[in-house]
Amino acid sequence: MTGVLAVGAVAAFAVLGPLAAGHDPLASDFVNGMAPDGLPVGPSARFLLGTDRLFRDVFARLAVAGRLSLWIALSATAIATCIGAVVGIAAGWLEGRRAFLPWPAAAGLCGALACLALGRPGLACVALVAAAIGWRWSRPRGLPVNLDAILMRLVDILLAFPFLLLVMAIGTSVGHTSAVTVFLTLGATGWLGIARILRAKTMQVRTLEYIDAARALGRPTLGILVSHVLPNVAGPLIVTATMLVGQMIVADSVLSYLGVGLSPPTPTWGRMLLEGQDALATSPWLVAAPGAAIVLSVWGFTMLGEGLRDALDPHDA
Amino acid sequence: MSRLVHRLAWSFVVVWGVVSIAFAINDLLPGDPARMAAGAQARPADVARIRSQLGLDRPPLARYGAFWRRLVHVGPRDRDSDPAHASCLVVAGIGRSAVHIDFGKSFQLHQPVGDVVCARIGRTFALAVAGVCLQLAMGIAAGLFAALRPGSRLDRGLVASSSLVASAPTFLVGLLLQYVLAYRLRWLPLDGFGDTIAEHARCLVLPALTLGLYGAGYYTRIVRDDVRVSIQNDWVRTARAKGAPMARVVVRHVLRNAVIPVLTAAGLDFGALMGGAVVTETVFRWPGLGDLSVSGALNRDGPVVLACVVVTSVAVVASNVVVDFVCAALDPRQR
Amino acid sequence: MMRSRSAAVLAAAAAFGCVAVGGCEDALSPPLPAAHGPRAQPRRGGTLHLASFENIRGLDPAGPTDGLALQAEHLLFAGLVDYGADGAVAADLAERWSVEDGGRTYRFFLREGVRMHDGEELTADDVVRSAERALHPSTPNPNASYFANLAGFDAYTSGASEHLSGVTAEGRYVVVFRLNERDATFLPVLAMQTLRPVCKTAGARYVDSWVPCGAGPFKLPEGGWRRGTSLRLVRHEGYYRPDRPYLDAVEWTFRVSFAAQRFRFEDGELDLLSDTTQADEARFAADARWRPLGISESDRTVLGESMNTRMPPFDNPEIRRAVAAAIDRDHYRALKPSNMTVLTQLVPPGVPGFDPQVTGQHHDLEAALEHMRRAGFPFDPVTGKGGWPSPIVYPLYDRGLLSYTAQLLKQDLARIGLRIELEIVSFPTFLAIQQRPDGAAMSQANWEMDYADPSALFDPLFSTASIGEGGSYNTAFYSNPRFDDLVGRARRESDPAARRAMYREADEILCDDAPWAFAYAYHGYEVRQPYVRGFAAQPVWSRDVSGVWVDRVERGIARALGGVLP
Repeated sequence: MTGVLAVGAVAAFAVLGPLAAGHDPLASDFVNGMAPDGLPVGPSARFLLGTDRLFRDVFARLAVAGRLSLWIALSATAIATCIGAVVGIAAGWLEGRRAFLPWPAAAGLCGALACLALGRPGLACVALVAAAIGWRWSRPRGLPVNLDAILMRLVDILLAFPFLLLVMAIGTSVGHTSAVTVFLTLGATGWLGIARILRAKTMQVRTLEYIDAARALGRPTLGILVSHVLPNVAGPLIVTATMLVGQMIVADSVLSYLGVGLSPPTPTWGRMLLEGQDALATSPWLVAAPGAAIVLSVWGFTMLGEGLRDALDPHDA
Repeated sequence: MSRLVHRLAWSFVVVWGVVSIAFAINDLLPGDPARMAAGAQARPADVARIRSQLGLDRPPLARYGAFWRRLVHVGPRDRDSDPAHASCLVVAGIGRSAVHIDFGKSFQLHQPVGDVVCARIGRTFALAVAGVCLQLAMGIAAGLFAALRPGSRLDRGLVASSSLVASAPTFLVGLLLQYVLAYRLRWLPLDGFGDTIAEHARCLVLPALTLGLYGAGYYTRIVRDDVRVSIQNDWVRTARAKGAPMARVVVRHVLRNAVIPVLTAAGLDFGALMGGAVVTETVFRWPGLGDLSVSGALNRDGPVVLACVVVTSVAVVASNVVVDFVCAALDPRQR
Repeated sequence: MMRSRSAAVLAAAAAFGCVAVGGCEDALSPPLPAAHGPRAQPRRGGTLHLASFENIRGLDPAGPTDGLALQAEHLLFAGLVDYGADGAVAADLAERWSVEDGGRTYRFFLREGVRMHDGEELTADDVVRSAERALHPSTPNPNASYFANLAGFDAYTSGASEHLSGVTAEGRYVVVFRLNERDATFLPVLAMQTLRPVCKTAGARYVDSWVPCGAGPFKLPEGGWRRGTSLRLVRHEGYYRPDRPYLDAVEWTFRVSFAAQRFRFEDGELDLLSDTTQADEARFAADARWRPLGISESDRTVLGESMNTRMPPFDNPEIRRAVAAAIDRDHYRALKPSNMTVLTQLVPPGVPGFDPQVTGQHHDLEAALEHMRRAGFPFDPVTGKGGWPSPIVYPLYDRGLLSYTAQLLKQDLARIGLRIELEIVSFPTFLAIQQRPDGAAMSQANWEMDYADPSALFDPLFSTASIGEGGSYNTAFYSNPRFDDLVGRARRESDPAARRAMYREADEILCDDAPWAFAYAYHGYEVRQPYVRGFAAQPVWSRDVSGVWVDRVERGIARALGGVLP
C-alpha cells in the first residue's frame, strides 16, 4: 500500500510537476535567481525549491528530470525483463540437456563470430542469416552444445565485468548519448539477476506433471514454454521487474553522477546531484531535492514489489 | 574433486573472456593514450615519439598476444637484474628463477602497474572487509530485532527504514554522511586516506559505513524472514518451553538456518567489493582499486585498466567458487 | 516503554537533522595572525604547508609533467635563465649571456661555485649533458620539439648523431647554444623547466627511477616523495643565493578535496588555500577579514569557443562574428568570479603583449542578429523562426567549469538562432574529436601559456603551421596568410615596440575574423593566512613560493588571539 502511494506520488509529480512549475527548466534567470553574493537563491515563493548554480528553477528541473528518469527506468526495465526472461527460461529449460546445433548453423555462427572479431559487422550479419537458414534446413544430428552452460557463463562474464567500462564502451559505440542510449545501456546490462532467478524457477516448474504430460503429447517446446512455463514463472517475474525499476532509477543516477549519462542541460536527478554537491554547505536544497526524489521513488518501487509479492505468492511472506 | 576441477576450468574461461573483451573495448575506445600521456598541449611530433615508446604503434593482435605472454611468466628471481623484467611482480621463487606477474608500466604514472596495484589492493581489501562486516552486523541485528516482535511498530519501523536507506544510491548516502559527520560535526575526516594507522582507521569509517548502510537492508530482510519462519517451529517452542533463554535459542537454532543465504550474499558482495567500490571510493577519495580503475579509464591508461579488470574478475569469480563450496560443505542437503 | 524509546530515537534524529541542515552556523574561522608587524624583515625557518586536489605524475624536468609538478620542479631545478617578477627573462644560474651571429648564437656564462644538491659544482658539461638527456629520442619528453630550432636537433633525435651539435661547452663555465634561425622566443623557451641542469646521478639517459636532483633552492630528501600522498622538499643549504630560501621546507599533500582543504586551512594546518568551490570562494570574497588576503595570479590560461572554419556553418565569418557578439561573458564569469577574467581578445590583461586598445569582441545581441542577417540566416527572436536550420553538435567533457559554460553558451546561441546540442564525452575522446579537421564544428578550446610571451598564444592556436592531421591545436583550423606572415615576422623581430605592434595587429585580425569567440581567462586564486609573508603572484610560475617566509605565532596563542589582525 505504501508502495502504491509512493509510486503514485512520484508519477503524479512527474506528470503534473512540469505543468505546475511556471518556469522554464532550461533558462537561467540572472536577475531574480541570483542572490546579491552571486550564489543561487534559496526556496521562496517565486522559486519553490530555489535555483541552481546556473540560476534555473530547481522545482521545474526536478519535475522534468522525474519524467525522464521514470521513462528511462521503465523502458530499461522492460528491455532487461525481456532479455532476462528469454535467457532465464531457455537456460532453465535446457539445464542438464544437450541440444544439437545443426552443422550448417554452427558453421554460420562461428563465421559470424569470426567476422565480428575481424571488425566486419556486415559480413557477420550475412553469416547469421546463413546460420538461421541452416537451422531451418537440416535436422539430423549436429554440434552438441550445452546452451544452459554457455548462457550462464555469459552471465558470469558480464557479472564479473566492470560496469563502468561496459557502459563507456556501449556509450561510445552508439556514439550519441540520448535517453534512448541510456535505457538501452541499462537494459542491456540489467538483465543478469532476472535471468538467474527465472532459470531457477523454470527448473522447478519443468518437473511439474502436466508439463511432462504436454511433452508426452508431443506439443512443440515453444508452445509449452509460452502457455505453461511462462504463467508459472510470471509471479516472480513481475515482482523482480517492479523492484528492478527502482534499481534502474539508481543506475541512471549513477551514470549521470559518473559523467557518462545524459548530456546537459537536460536535467536528470543524478546530474542535479552532481552539480549540487559542491554547494552542499551553502545551498543544501540543491542536493536535498534530487536526493529525496531518488530515495522516494526507489523506495516506492521496492515497497510496491514487496506488496506484489505478498499478494501474488502468499506462501513466501 | 572433479567438480572443483570443472569449476576452476570454467573460472579460467570466464576470466579469459572478461579480460579479452576488456582488452578489445580498451583498444576500440576513441582517444589517444599517447596524447593523454604526453599532455593536452604536447606537440604532435612529441606525441608520436611517446606513442612508439609506449609500444602503441604495434598492431592490436601483437599487443594482445604480448599481454597474455607477459601476464604470467618465468623470469629471474631479482627483477632489477634484467631491465626486461623491471615492471614485473615476483610472486614465488624456485631456485634462481621465479614466477612473474607483469601488468606492464603505467602510461601515466611511469611506474610498474603491479606495484601500484599492490599498494592499493590492501586498502580496497580493508574497505571491503569493513563494509561487509558492517553490513552483516547492522543487517543481522536489525533483522533479529524485527523478527522477535513480528508486526510490532519496531518491526515495521526497522523494515521500512532499512529499505529506505537501501533505496538511496551509495553516493547519496556517502554525501549525507560526509556532510553531517565530517562537515558539520567534524567528528571524522571528510575523505582521503591519512598518514598513520590511526588516521587510516578514521578515514575508513565513513566509506565503510556508507557501504554498510547500503547493503544492510538486504540482510535485514533475509534474517527477518528466516527467523520469523523458524521461530514458529516446534523445536523452538520446545526449547522455549524448557526454559532456555530466547537469545540462546535464537543463536543456536534459528540463526543457523539463515547462515547459508547470508553467507552466500556476503561472499558475493565481498568479491564485488574487492574489484573496488567505484562510486564509494570516488566520493571519499579512498585510494583503492575502484579509484584507480576510474582514473585509468578516464586517462586511457591501458595497462592500469587491464590490471584492474584482471583483479576484479578474479575476485568475483573466486568468491563465487568459494561461496559455492563453502555452502555445499555447510549444507548436506545440497547435492 | 516501546513508545518512549521510539520517541527518544525520533528526538535524536530530529536533533541530528537540525545540526545537519543548519542548526549551527557554518561560518568561516577568523584568520590566524602573524607574529610581527607588516614591515618586519623576512625570517628564516619554518615549513609551508600546501595541499592540492591533484596528484603529481613525475618530478623529472625531462619527463611528463603537469601543473602541480611544475610548481615543485621550479623549486627543485634552477635553470640558466628564469622568468623574473615581471615575466621577462632574467639571469639565474648563468650570470650573463651574449647574443651573437645575428641572434643565432647564445653564449651563457655560468656562475662559478654553484653547488648542486649532491654537492658537486655545476659545470658547462652538466648543462650539455642535461640538454642531451632531455632531448634524447628515448626520453618521454613532451616538450622536446620546442627545441627543434637548435642546430643538430633533427640529427640527434633521429639517432643519426650521438651528440647534439647545437649545445656545446667551452671550458668549464661557458655554454653555447646555436640556433638554425633567429628566434625571439628562444630565451623564454629556455626558461621552461625542460633543459634545466640535473645532477650527474641522472646519467646520460632518462630512467623512471631517478631521484630528482638539481641546483634549485630546495632539494628532495630521502623518502620525501610519497607517490599519490605527499611531497616534502627541504632547503638546499648550498643554494647559490646565500640568503635564500627562507623556508626550511615546503610540504604538499595531494588528492585533498576542496572542502577538506578549507577545513585544514581554517585550522592552520594549511597555510595557503588554492582550490576552492564556488560557494566557499564567494564566502571568502564576501568576508571583510579574508578579502585582503586573497591573491589573484595572472591569467595564464585562455579559453574560447572555437569554431571550425572548415565546417558549416562556421566557414562563414559572419556566423562566427555573430557567435562572438552573442555570448555574454559576464554570465560566464558569474560562475567563479575570483578565478575568471572576461576575455575580449586573445591576450589577457596583465600578460606581456596585452594591448587595451584592441577593439575586441563584446556582447551585443543586436549586432549578433545583424551578423546573422548578413550571413543569410536571419533570426526573429520574437517568433523564434529562422536561424541556422540544423542543430550543431558541441562536444564537452564533464570536468571543471566546462559543463556549466556550455549550458550558458547554449542559451546565448539560441537567442540568435543557432541551436547547439551538448554531448558529453570523456576527456580523451574530446581531445580526439576536437583535434580532427572534421571532428567538431564547435567546441571549447583552452590553452595555458607555456612561457610568458605573446607567441606562446598566437603561434600554436591560430597559425597554419599548427594544423596537423595527427592532432591540431589550431582547433578552429584557421588559416590566414596575412596573420601567418605577421606572427612569423613577430617571432623573429627583436625590437620590442615593433613586435608589440605586430601582435596588436594580429589580435585585431583574430577579433574580427573570430575563429574563436573569446570567452574568459582563468587564473589561480589563493587565500593565504596572514602569517604567510612574501607571497606574490608570479606571471609564469603558479603558486611560486620561493620567496615566501612564515611568521607564525605559537598555535595556542594564535587561537587565543583569534581574529586580531596585526
